[in-house]
Formats: sequence, structure tokens, C-alpha cells
Amino acid sequence: MKLKNLSENILKSVKTRGFKYIDLPSVIETNHIVQRSGENFRKFIFSFIDQNGSELCLRPDLTIVSCLRYLESNLKGKEKIFYSGQAYRKSQNKKDSIIRDQVGFEIIGSKDEKIDDKEIINTSLKSLQNIKYSSGTLTIGNIEIFNLLISKLDIPKRWKLRLSRHFWREKYFNDLLKRLETNSDVDPTIVEIDKKRYFKMLKENLAKVVAGRSINEILKRFDNKIKDPRGTGKGKNVSKIIKKFLKIKCPINEAANQLNKFFKNNKINLAVDQKYFPISNNKISKLNVVFSASFGRELEYYTGMVFKIDIKSKSKNRNIINGGRYDKLISDLGSRKQVAAVGAALNLNY
Amino acid sequence: MTKNIINIGIPSKGRLRKDILKIFKKNKLNLISERGERDLLGSIKNLKNIKILYLHAREIVERLGDGSLDLGFSGYDLLKESEINIQNKINVSKRYDFGKATLVIAIPDPWIDVQTVADLEEIAFEFKDKKKKRLRVATKYPNLTREFLFSKGVTQFKLVGSLGATEAYPFTGSSEIITDITSSGKTLRANNLRILKDGEILKSEACLMISKSSLKNSLIKKLIKSLSK
Repeated sequence: MKLKNLSENILKSVKTRGFKYIDLPSVIETNHIVQRSGENFRKFIFSFIDQNGSELCLRPDLTIVSCLRYLESNLKGKEKIFYSGQAYRKSQNKKDSIIRDQVGFEIIGSKDEKIDDKEIINTSLKSLQNIKYSSGTLTIGNIEIFNLLISKLDIPKRWKLRLSRHFWREKYFNDLLKRLETNSDVDPTIVEIDKKRYFKMLKENLAKVVAGRSINEILKRFDNKIKDPRGTGKGKNVSKIIKKFLKIKCPINEAANQLNKFFKNNKINLAVDQKYFPISNNKISKLNVVFSASFGRELEYYTGMVFKIDIKSKSKNRNIINGGRYDKLISDLGSRKQVAAVGAALNLNY
Repeated sequence: MTKNIINIGIPSKGRLRKDILKIFKKNKLNLISERGERDLLGSIKNLKNIKILYLHAREIVERLGDGSLDLGFSGYDLLKESEINIQNKINVSKRYDFGKATLVIAIPDPWIDVQTVADLEEIAFEFKDKKKKRLRVATKYPNLTREFLFSKGVTQFKLVGSLGATEAYPFTGSSEIITDITSSGKTLRANNLRILKDGEILKSEACLMISKSSLKNSLIKKLIKSLSK
């Protein structure tokens, strides 16, 4: 009952900000999830086969379902929507419930990205007014800044792509940095042996396909790989810069300042304006607002601004709202065009 | 309560069966099968309350998990591949010096630009971004393969279940790469495949396993002691 009241009050708050309520299907094709988030996501989903042999699953996440709706209904233009319901996920942690009650709101297909980011944060703050808490933190990050930094670093392109792809997986990312420091993925002895093979293969039919890859493709990549010109010193330096960047954490009004100082000190040709951030107040009601450069690592689909709200309630810290920008999600799900999207989900089982 | 009958599972076929039968012989436990070597049920001479069941090695793990076997011999790989709720119900009492094999990732040998799993990770993203397809991995070990690839950063792939002759898959258009169990690597090489430098997923050997629900039985304890020698 308490949950129902809370949910209704939050829905009311969201509605007053001009969002339209939509219903979402509980069951979706598993393929959408696996195509998007990879095979490992299977561990978390409840899937089953229907009478036609198609694999379906209970929705593990409402955002993906909402984006699927936008895509499959051939919607165009801006939509401000909200929804509520349960998401179903298996968890390794026995204490976690498999059912998660959520309220979500999103702005899809709009061009005013900065304004929308603000709108989603403001709607989150408004929803939060329905919840009792003593203090809390609104943490803001931005994956775009990380990707910009990576693009400016002196490392081969494939390393840049690799680091950007795995920003969201902290443990593996740290392994990558270690590898970057030692350049251990190019083994000189093996390269020598394979060079002979390389020259032999150059004389073969380059269009021939071996297990889905043409000889031409294989040789091209081989060539790029052995031309990796880095000495180990360079890799170490780049890794140091990335680690330093990820440690940046400060009150939000100092974010631009701190970042610009960092860019200058490390001779990186980048500058950020404070207006880039959706908020510049360090305190909003009972929340401290901070910027964290390393934040945004929970979900693979975030592409730009990310935020979370943690509150202290009944002397416990609880994560209550998570959100951010996911401009590639709809195209990853199958849209030909990239569709801008930003949203947040409020966890009702806090 | 002590169970009256103790059920022991032995692989019904192959090299593993032969090596396990040797352990029984060495310990002077005479296995009897009334209807000869193809009999799927047996017993031990002078030990009336022990029943021997000859089963597929994969099934031995399953039956230990549901408690219908008390003891069983199977491969460590098969235990690790089984679902977590089954693994939680089984203890490994002994890892033997035979049945040794390694689960590995193998790629087509002509892919000379791919040496490590990190290369594979890039290739997997190339498949996704440029070819709009998933890199397909054929395997008899979907769980172990998924875990391993994911822990090494390869997230974009599709598993293709295989029951045998997995080595041929990359060349018949059924998958691009495979994971398979190998002891010398000979079969893989003969099929134009190459093991990745860091492509070792799991080292395995024959094991004596016990269903946790049978841990307290004193006769079982005794049996484990002698079969572990």
C-alpha cells in the first residue's frame, strides 16, 4: 500500500512536468537484449520459448523496452514519456529481489540536448520531494568528456576504441590500463614468425573468406597492429593521465575549473565551459551536488551526461535515482538513424 | 538417517571409464555386471548395499546434484559447466592424474592478426559494427565460454550450441571460432585451428565427486578414502 501511494505521488509529480504516460509490454524478444548487451546478459534475464520457437524474456529493464516501443511504432520527433512497473532480473546476490519496482521518465528524439538533460534532472528532483530523507548526494558525470580525453591521447586508434568501449566495466578497464602500460598485446617473436606468413598470404586471393573474414581484412589488421609505434614509456604516461582524470571529483561549480586545470597540466588540447554541466549549484535542498569524472560505469548504454541520487534515509545510504543520456541505444536496437534520448529511473524498493 | 543403498556413478564409455575401473581394481573392489560389459547396472562383490550405475559423464554431475547418486566420477570441466545450483550441491573429493584436458578458445589459423583474447575482443566489435553480425562461438561448454569471454572483455558474441565435431564449425559457416576441450591440441591443428595465446579457459581432469547430501554417511567416507588413494 505504501509502495502504491508513493508510486502514485511520484507519477503525479512527473505528469505535472508535461510527461505523457505510456504502457509498456512485460515480455520482449530476448534477442533485443542479447543483441544489445551481449550474451552475458542472459545470466540476468528470465527467458522462455513461445509456441513459434521464438525466445522471449521478462523485461529486465524498462528503458530498453521504452526505446523498443519508440523504434517499433516508427515514432518520429520529440516524445516526453513516463511509465511505471516492474523489471525482472536474476541476481547473484541472494538478498536482492528479482522484482524491481520502477518509475521511469524519458525524453526521446529531441534536439535540445542540454535543456533535456536539465529537464530530466529537475524532474528527478521533483519526484524526490515525495520521499523522506535527511541528506544525500547528486553525482553528475559525463562519458563524453572521457571519450574526448581519450581521442586526444597519443595512442593508436584501436587502443582509443578499446578504452572507450570498456569505460563502463571498471575491473576490465583497469586490466586494459595495465596492458597499455606494458604493451603486452604485441609479442615481437610471434610477430616475426607471422610476418613470413603475412608475405605468403599477400600472394593469395585476397577476397577469399576464412570464417567470415577476408584475407585482405586479416592482413590489413595485422599490418596496422605491428605498426603500433609505442614504446612502453609512452603507454605508462597515457595510463597515468587516464588514472589522474578518473580521480577528479569536486563540487559541481568547480567542475569546469578543475577539468581545465587538468587539461592544461597534461597538455591536452581541450576546454570545458561550466555551462556544459546541467547544474552549477553545489547544494539543492538537502542534496550536495558533485561532479565525478569516473562516474557512469554502471550501464553500457550511457553516452553522455550521467547522474545518480543517493540519499540517507533511516540512517542508511540508498541509491534511489539513476539516469543519463543514451543516444546510441535506439540505433543499437535497430534504428537506421541515431535518436537522442535521455531519461532516469526511480527505484521504489529503496 | 543413513541411506541403505549407496549409488555410485561411473562413466559408461571411453577412456575415462577404463581409467576409473582401474582404481576399483587397484583397491580390490571387484565390480560385477550380471549381463556383461554392456550392462548399465552393476555392483561390488561382497558389498551388497552398493549399486553401480554406468551413465554419461555429464549426467553423473546432474545426478549428484539431485542426490540420486551419492558418489560419482566425472570431469572437472563438466562440473564447472553445470548450473550453479548443481555445483553448490557437489564436493570434489579427489582430482586424479588422468583424464587431463584443457578447455581452450581456438580460431581459424589463417587469422594471423589474432593472437590474444584482446584481439578477439576487437574482432567481435568489428563484426558488430561493420558487418552488423555477432561473432559466433561454437561450443559444448556455453556457460564456461560465456563467463570466460566476458571476463576478458569480449561482450559481443553469440553462442552456437554444438554436440560434436565442433572443430569443423568455422569452415562450414556455422560459427567463426570455437571453444573445445583438448589434451594435445593435435585435433585442433589438424582442423586448421589455432589456440589463442591466452585462450586457456579451464584445466580439467577426472574427479571423484560426492553429493553434499551424502557427506555424513560413514560407509561413503570409507569408500572415498580408498578410492582417493
